Amino acid sequence: MDTLLFGLLNGLIYGLLLFMVSAGLTLIFGMMGVLNFAHASFYMLGAYFAYTLQGLLGFGPAVVAATLLAGGVGALVERFFLRRVHHHGHAHELLLTFGLSFIVAETIKLLFGNFPVDYHVPASLDGPAFTLGSQQYPTYRLLMGAVALAMFGLLYLLLTRTRVGIIVRSAIYKPRMVEALGHNVQLVFMGVFGVGAALAGLAGAIAGAFYTTSPNMALEVGVMVFVVVVVGGLGSLGGAMLASLLIGVITSLAVSVDRSLADALTLVGAGAWAESVGGLLTLKLSSLAATLPFALMLLVLLVRPQGLLGDKT
Amino acid sequence: MRTSTSLLLGGVALLAALPALLTAGLLNAAVQMLIAALFASAYGQLAGRAGMLSFGHAAYFGVGAFATVHAMDALNGAGLLPTPLMPLVGAAAGLGFGVVAGWFATQRSGTAFAMITLAIAELLHALAPQLKSLFGGESGISVMRTPAWGFNFGSTTQVYYLTLVWVLLSLALLYFHTRTSAGRLTLGLRENSHRLRFLGYDVHRLGVSAFAISGLFSGVAGALQVLANESANYVVFEAHVSASVVLNSYIGGVGVFLGPALGAALMSFFGYAVSDATQAWLLYQGVLFVLVMMFMPEGLVGLGGAAARRVKQLGASRAPPLLLLWLLAVLLLAAGAVFLVELLQRLCSQDYRALARAAAGWPPVTMFGQSWAAVGLATWIWPLGLLAGGGSLLAFAQRRLQMKEAQA
Repeated sequence: MDTLLFGLLNGLIYGLLLFMVSAGLTLIFGMMGVLNFAHASFYMLGAYFAYTLQGLLGFGPAVVAATLLAGGVGALVERFFLRRVHHHGHAHELLLTFGLSFIVAETIKLLFGNFPVDYHVPASLDGPAFTLGSQQYPTYRLLMGAVALAMFGLLYLLLTRTRVGIIVRSAIYKPRMVEALGHNVQLVFMGVFGVGAALAGLAGAIAGAFYTTSPNMALEVGVMVFVVVVVGGLGSLGGAMLASLLIGVITSLAVSVDRSLADALTLVGAGAWAESVGGLLTLKLSSLAATLPFALMLLVLLVRPQGLLGDKT
Repeated sequence: MRTSTSLLLGGVALLAALPALLTAGLLNAAVQMLIAALFASAYGQLAGRAGMLSFGHAAYFGVGAFATVHAMDALNGAGLLPTPLMPLVGAAAGLGFGVVAGWFATQRSGTAFAMITLAIAELLHALAPQLKSLFGGESGISVMRTPAWGFNFGSTTQVYYLTLVWVLLSLALLYFHTRTSAGRLTLGLRENSHRLRFLGYDVHRLGVSAFAISGLFSGVAGALQVLANESANYVVFEAHVSASVVLNSYIGGVGVFLGPALGAALMSFFGYAVSDATQAWLLYQGVLFVLVMMFMPEGLVGLGGAAARRVKQLGASRAPPLLLLWLLAVLLLAAGAVFLVELLQRLCSQDYRALARAAAGWPPVTMFGQSWAAVGLATWIWPLGLLAGGGSLLAFAQRRLQMKEAQA
């Protein structure tokens, strides 16, 4: 029971983290129609910025600075790269961001080495929050969840309750009309891109300390985030939330399941046959945990191609 | 048409003559170049002609490779499939997997399609290490090329000719496909799929068929790699394999049939040539790709056309000095960038950091066969000077061009 509860909690917090990255991606996609392949690179940049600045500033300020820096890099990418190729179409923009993500990963390998760096949770936050049964739950995980939730609260209020939010939402809906009304839509785009990148950077700065910070982290999270937005429906913030939590919970629960398909087949009397076939049938679910999100994605594509909460396209 | 035919024949003759001209090491590199060229052409068929951006093409390459390795292991050159016909197995596997994956991926178009292809490749990549019997685990699977048809396939030359024949045959088939009505419909898929649907075509089926054909030839490329290396390892499913085929194809230019092949051959040749000299080759590749995407959307094959247009526009006497100036500026910028990257790479390497910690200072680094002080104007003036010089020269050339355009 404890294990189940802990798995559920871990999954929810991992899901919130995924949402932190995919929210920016979905927002940018909804607004500009650009799938930003380099989005997860901002996640990685956030982690590496925080790791580098940690020694100078201390953990908290380093996370804040990393968030701002990642946002700044994002705004620069929009201004000097994406805007230049905008007239070539969306596929071209996608390819450009793909190239940028490649450059970011290679530059980080060049500067920090192709191995995980020693970025870890500060001692003051590295303790148990509560004990349930015989297990302790780390404070830092709860902190990650809290930061993610606080960020969404702020984002939601910003988008729905402020004047800036109104302009942003209308720029998503009718950019030309907003421009005609005298708003600088280019600036709004740059701002949204920057904020999206900053969110990813914040997620990276916080999660990098808990998980590992390595040049591969962008790809690992990036692929997962793409699965999230396909499952949730491209451009849908609610869908991204639902899919993030779903994937977080599924992967984290699957790790603790020590059963295989063969065990399930034993129930119908085909266990021996499954054992003899081997391969996929005898693999434990726990070792398949990494592949479950992809399987979920294929399933969603099969029954609901537009995504769980996506519009019909 | 006649010049292009003679160019083509000349190119094939040169490729056929290569074993007589090259050393064994270079010939091995040529085999890899041919394989990369075929893989990129298969990719370009999908990305360029059908307009579907796949970011997970390593999957079809890898499936073809593993199918071939298992077929070679099981048949051992006996029966209907001797060694030279093994790529047929790769083709069949690539086609089969391409149909299945394509059926899923082409449910969506545009950006979602790109993400799905990436996820399918990652699914295989995550699954492959778990299925040891199928993918051989860490060490991979090794096989032997069994002699057939009077060849023993022991020498690199024989492997080269085997690869060459298959690559040329595949390229010819791919080219033939572009001339058929099915190939024309693929083009229509890119331009306006709504209209195709309105005309009564099954767009999904067309998409799957384009995807499957690309998978087929990727599978052949994978099979050829197995024949060349006599082994297969699950690293072929890694993301960098998918990434490099995207980069190579677009650097070459997907708008022209041979563009991706030329791009891939060029990039894998450079990769082979500089792999000993630098550790930052992938970075250069990425930078080149971004530069191509930003300034030469047609790819490197478009460069000749662009130069010809300038000559026509400005006249044969006034254009060459300007083009030379432009070339010089680009070379200076490239030299400056390479200098900077190599210097940073050495200063940030683990060995150097350990040295610096031991010496409690900044010991000099060795680069380009010379020793450079880590701190000091004499070192840093080089990259900065090269970059500044190249930049100002480029600005100057651009201004001259505008002036001449205004005159013309």
